[in-house]
Amino acid sequence: MKKTVRRILDGLYLAGGIASALCLIGIVTLIVLQIASRNIGFSFRGGPDYAGYAMAAASFLGFAYALNHGAHIRVTLMISAMGRYRYWGEVWCFIVGTAISTVFAWFACKFTYESYRFNDISSGLDATPLWIPQLSMAVGSILLAICFWDNLITLLFTKKPNVIESSITDSGAE
Amino acid sequence: MEQLVAIAVFLGVLFLFLGSGVWVGLSLMGVAYIGIEFIAGRAAGGGMINTIWGASSSWTLTALPLFVWMGEILFRTRLSEDMFKGLSPWMARLPGGLVHTNIVGCTVFAAVSGSSAATLTTVGRMSIPELRRREYPEHMIIGTLAGAATLGLMIPPSLTLIVYGVSINESIRELFIAGVVPGLVLAGMFMAYVAIYSVVSSDYKPKSEPSLAFSEKLKNSAYLIPVLLLVFVVIGSMYFGIASATEAAAFGVLGALVLAAFQGSLTVSSFSESLMGAVRTSAMITLILAGAAFLSLAMGYTGLPRALADWIATMEFTRLELLMALLVFYIILGCFLDGISAVVLTMAIVEPMIREAGIDVIWFGIFVTVVIEMAQITPPIGFNLFVMQGLTNHQMNYIAKAALPMFGIMVLMVFVLIAFPELVTWLPDTIRQ
Repeated sequence: MKKTVRRILDGLYLAGGIASALCLIGIVTLIVLQIASRNIGFSFRGGPDYAGYAMAAASFLGFAYALNHGAHIRVTLMISAMGRYRYWGEVWCFIVGTAISTVFAWFACKFTYESYRFNDISSGLDATPLWIPQLSMAVGSILLAICFWDNLITLLFTKKPNVIESSITDSGAE
Repeated sequence: MEQLVAIAVFLGVLFLFLGSGVWVGLSLMGVAYIGIEFIAGRAAGGGMINTIWGASSSWTLTALPLFVWMGEILFRTRLSEDMFKGLSPWMARLPGGLVHTNIVGCTVFAAVSGSSAATLTTVGRMSIPELRRREYPEHMIIGTLAGAATLGLMIPPSLTLIVYGVSINESIRELFIAGVVPGLVLAGMFMAYVAIYSVVSSDYKPKSEPSLAFSEKLKNSAYLIPVLLLVFVVIGSMYFGIASATEAAAFGVLGALVLAAFQGSLTVSSFSESLMGAVRTSAMITLILAGAAFLSLAMGYTGLPRALADWIATMEFTRLELLMALLVFYIILGCFLDGISAVVLTMAIVEPMIREAGIDVIWFGIFVTVVIEMAQITPPIGFNLFVMQGLTNHQMNYIAKAALPMFGIMVLMVFVLIAFPELVTWLPDTIRQ
């Protein structure tokens, strides 16, 4: 039972990551189409807007996946200096993280729903109803919040979070 | 008085979150929420989502994941071997010998990669064992590599400059073009240091290289053609005004895929690994950017940026005094935060300040980049030190000490930039005409 839940949750984060990867491919495709339309002269309206939506989706859907792989940056100076009290430091961090990500998810859903209800339309050339691209923010922020709750509960019960400790060298951040 | 208390509480919570190890992006988001909701006493939710959505769904920002992806693809090719083979025949005769391959290799790779960690690992994977085999002094191998890899941040494409440009709404392409000359000057200064050191020092006795005929050298240089083509596609397309930064990034991704395919290193697993690596890194950066955008909004409510800019105006600091203060500030900040967080976290406050003081924002972007580069090789949080530690198993202290001369050269570079701002502004000015 515990293993099934674990597998489903990890699969969920991975699915977000894969969706995010597809968005990256989508961005490249959109940009190439944009350049082609300019040079060959067919009409492709709103390319930059669609690329922007894909960008947002790529970020939001990847948040939980990145967290689960320990890719999000934090200042670990103090927490590693805490020695055997490190557990309590981690608990504090995950409580704060869980709270913030939950607030974020709540408002993301609320405002995406309002975009839908008031039928907000993009002011760009694409004239997309905004709630459609904003769904990625709602879904991604919920995934992130789930991932935080998951890690907090795992930490409290097993003394270790579910996050894979990644060596800093495989992050290409800087 | 009330405003002062508000600012103190605000900054206090920020330091508490960041210092205790809460993820940077979420810390910024949380502080901003608390600031608006409880200190300013307004509903924060709407502003939060509007700003985060606006900051995340921007066309300009799409350059970021694409350049990250490009670096991830190239990292999985045979580029590092090829670059060493192509460069070493030409470097062998310079005073200082093959240590120059570290610097020139980093400079070339920096022109196709936006990150200094990727530059360090790609160049170092090949050059460290090769240089050790030839008995170059270990501290020179380590020091020059750690220092020169930071050029990845300065020479376009550069993730730091994308993040900076997005934060202050300036053209990424212009920032990229502005970074070219200072990057080359800095590389030249590193090379001069190696040359002088090799002449002055007595412990510099590498094995001599077999001398190659000129035709032989030219033949080896053929290994450099793919990477130089890629540099030309990425930087050339921006320089000649054919492409924006985002479009150059898309060209770069396609070019990198073609290069990998030609080398036979493009497999399904290397493709998907590079893609998922890019997802993780860009999600990490965009979470920070989302948090920072919201924090900027909250900062506006506290009135801190305006107050500071006004204060700077009344104090009538000279340009030099202000820049020195910022230099010290960023070096200290860089000891505890990674470069990207340091830039986005401070821009809400620093931008009005420098605009008030009449400092060119493009120039300031390059200035900040040099300072962030220094932070990469200063303990306790120097990012390149960690990467180098993973690569060589040396102690952090040893690496930091080996890289100290490079730190000195970068400090010198800051003053060169202040004395000759044309180094930065000249190239963007010429393409604007």
